[in-house]
Amino acid sequence: MSSPFESYDDLDDADERLQAADPAERRVAIIALGHSGDPAAVAHLAGMVSDPDAGVRQQVAMALGEFDGPESAIALVQLLVDPERIVASAAADSLAELKDAACADAILPLVRHSHAFVRMGALRSLKELRRKDTLKPALEALQDSDAAVRVQAIGVIGFLKLEESIPALTASINDSDAHVRRAAVSALAFSQMKSAAESITRALKDDDWMVREMAAETLGLNANGSVAADQLIEALADGFWQVRLKSIRSLGKMKLDRAVRPIGGCITHEQANLRKEAAAALGEIADPSGEPYLALVAGDTDPEVRKNARWALQQIAARKARAGA
Amino acid sequence: MPLATYQTSVPVVVDDAKCIADKGCTVCVDVCPLDVLRISDMTGKAYMAYDECWYCMPCEADCPTGAVTVNIPYLLR
Amino acid sequence: MAMDEIVDGMSEVSCDVLVIGGGTAGPMAALKAKLRNPKANVVLLEKANVKRSGAISMGMDGLNNAVIPGYATPEQYTKEITIANDGIVDQKAVYKYAQNCYGIIEELDSFGIRFLKNENGDYAVKKVHHIGTYVLPMPNGDTVKKALYRQLRRARILISNRYMATRLLTGSDGRVAGAISVNTRTAELLVIKAKAVILCMGAAGRLGLPTSGYMFGTYENAANSGDGYAMAYHAGAALANLECFQINPLIKDYNGPACAYVAGPFGAYTANNEGSRFIECDYWSGQMMLEFYNELLSGKGPVFLQLKHLHEKTIEEIESTLHKVERPTRGLFQKGRGNDYRTESIEMHISEIGFCSGHSASGVFVDDFARTTVPGLYAAGDMASVPHNYMLGAFTNGAVAGTDAMEFADNHDFADFDAADVAKERDRVMAPTRRDDGIPPNQIEYKARRLVNDYLQPPKVTRKFELGQRRLAEVREDMEQRMIARNSHELLRALETQSILDCADMAAHSSLYREESRWGLYHLRTDFPEKDNENWFCHTLLSKKDGRMTSEKRDVQPYVVPIADDEKDLYDKQRIRATA
Repeated sequence: MSSPFESYDDLDDADERLQAADPAERRVAIIALGHSGDPAAVAHLAGMVSDPDAGVRQQVAMALGEFDGPESAIALVQLLVDPERIVASAAADSLAELKDAACADAILPLVRHSHAFVRMGALRSLKELRRKDTLKPALEALQDSDAAVRVQAIGVIGFLKLEESIPALTASINDSDAHVRRAAVSALAFSQMKSAAESITRALKDDDWMVREMAAETLGLNANGSVAADQLIEALADGFWQVRLKSIRSLGKMKLDRAVRPIGGCITHEQANLRKEAAAALGEIADPSGEPYLALVAGDTDPEVRKNARWALQQIAARKARAGA
Repeated sequence: MPLATYQTSVPVVVDDAKCIADKGCTVCVDVCPLDVLRISDMTGKAYMAYDECWYCMPCEADCPTGAVTVNIPYLLR
Repeated sequence: MAMDEIVDGMSEVSCDVLVIGGGTAGPMAALKAKLRNPKANVVLLEKANVKRSGAISMGMDGLNNAVIPGYATPEQYTKEITIANDGIVDQKAVYKYAQNCYGIIEELDSFGIRFLKNENGDYAVKKVHHIGTYVLPMPNGDTVKKALYRQLRRARILISNRYMATRLLTGSDGRVAGAISVNTRTAELLVIKAKAVILCMGAAGRLGLPTSGYMFGTYENAANSGDGYAMAYHAGAALANLECFQINPLIKDYNGPACAYVAGPFGAYTANNEGSRFIECDYWSGQMMLEFYNELLSGKGPVFLQLKHLHEKTIEEIESTLHKVERPTRGLFQKGRGNDYRTESIEMHISEIGFCSGHSASGVFVDDFARTTVPGLYAAGDMASVPHNYMLGAFTNGAVAGTDAMEFADNHDFADFDAADVAKERDRVMAPTRRDDGIPPNQIEYKARRLVNDYLQPPKVTRKFELGQRRLAEVREDMEQRMIARNSHELLRALETQSILDCADMAAHSSLYREESRWGLYHLRTDFPEKDNENWFCHTLLSKKDGRMTSEKRDVQPYVVPIADDEKDLYDKQRIRATA
């Protein structure tokens, strides 16, 4: 009986197998190297990035994704600029797997590449590396002609969480592309600066409902989100219930007494999700003036609404008891 | 008691033209949790030998050449 | 050589720690054991192939019990699980999980397992439950296994694929001594001596028969045939609360979840035919399943996953996860039916029964160090008794098991076992291959599982259970005397059938023992319709004593997170009473 265990000798005949005349055989050899887990496989794989067969190069790009580190990054960067899209896509996916910050050295030059797909892939892979010297090229990429590149640039900047990036992120709130604006709003969440909260607030008026929804949600996460209380109350009249829902949630988190009436006004909305969120927010605020609104949904058809209303009334009763004592 | 075989339409289909099992590839056979794929002695290509499929997809997702298609078994389609 | 031809052979290896099952808990246990003592030999034995085995072969679409600082606390989580499990919880293990799981998330993230992050790179935790916030989506969670495999290779774990463990070996002192396994491609036996053994063999998911009639269309990975439960039982370990079955809400006819945890954060919900929510219960539990079941039977059914109120763009986002991760053929199934989430609600149903602590509480009894009642034997993941621990629990408790098992191995030598036990097991395993005529395993399996549906599925009726036991005993007789396996693949199925029948017997025995109703639908006994805290506020432990299946009570250990009486009452008041 042969050994019952998986072999760790995958590299023994690697060179020979990688030189097979048949591209399918080379592919099979590359798959084995990818699974080997042996860091020495990277050198073998790197030697294959110029294989004449695109399928082989694609396989190399996938296999390199199994290995972290600069040596792997250098090879992947060569595959990211491959003229065949299947190869470049596989390389982009593998680059996004990298965690070793040292990989950034190999990737950074591609942020200015002539092809948008390459710039996008490069920026996407820099996010998780969180290296400070990636900030400047990412900031420059906010002016990229391609919106998908700008979205990735915001990710790089947002992951770094540096206050110095706030003016640039704020500027992106006026970007022509809604995906960019949405990402920029979300990336501002971390900031302690009041100007960041104000920028998010402006996005409550965005033309795109998903940007407005993100703004309403992000204000609930941001340290200075309560500067937007009035605007969030205004947003309770938004044409999209999704925006109203997040506004209610954020107002609830802020525990703002004056939000009770406008939130109460939403509690009979036809959308059950909104009624539920309104009841929960009235409970978080726990102001006694919320009781009449909660009474309206005590017999709601939706058990989640009833449950949240019951919980909210308990919160109000507890607050009253505390005030009495 | 004598045994008989009966017909069943199997959910996993392999495109022989794309399959490289004859070049040493065993990816789909390896990744199948139910171990129902085999490589044919006659064609050298992969095929579904047993109709015991969880239609979970690793064989299709991991095939390097896109030769494998997983269908929903007829009984629950 | 003909396909799957039977080769007569046997060999023996030894290691410090043997992990059986390479799905979720197993790889983590193996890694942590190796980390604890890098010089030691760790063997990871897997019936399929570690690359794509187990419940998460195609990844997972999210964590639904993540206790992340700032969103939930270990105390709150422990309380919720205790309430969801009707108080029958040894909280120490749950609390330990809740404390450790965030560290495990961070570690999995470093492995390259991808959780949803916002534009600041922070985990984008979502609120789905009424009180706590525990959901962390994994829209790109399809590569979990790939990332785990990479770690195993890097740590040079000894991986044995396509070996099915059949029985544990125990020493004269009662300590675990190793395991016997059989190659699923050649039928050769492999005896593995080990100082400690960790069972991570998943749920008993091939117990009930899916309503489609397709034997492998189970909710759980169909490879999870309950082998771990059977092995633990035959080794003398205790199994806890097996009557607390697993039943899950699914897309009707398709065996994937709908899935409330993916679509829920986006505003989708489970609704009845009137388009209204109906589930009162807070946390995923047998109570929730009872409410689901009652609604299906009431005039208000069928039950649907409601998405059509959501915006087109939101539905697109939900689809991109639902059709890529965990059960990616979901999209293919819907397409085949002509279903579009935009215009139609998705019909749902409930799954066949099984054992699974990952979703309920039926598992091999373990303490907060993942130790079973057999010295040196550990269990983690879906098959171990830590309730509701899901994928993250498998990772977290697998880590606990790996570390403690290596410590045990470092302090013990191999236990001596009787060579006659190996010979006896070899005869038992090979018996179906030595018959020229008989009944093939698929027919025996089908019949056993059809009987499980007919007699053991809740609501549980004593008389039906007794009839079921009689019928199952007849099938057992056929299995032991007449089952035939003509190649090694059929032998694999034949051995799985034995696990399935063992689990069916345990399901019947444990259900009859607990004379009350508890855990909603999971243990709804029509002859004992009320919850009886006076007599049954306890675990039940099933084990093999003197060759016979026995059950006994075990006290619930004192809570580490107290639950006030009014909190229990509050929860009870929210409930819809059983009408059965």
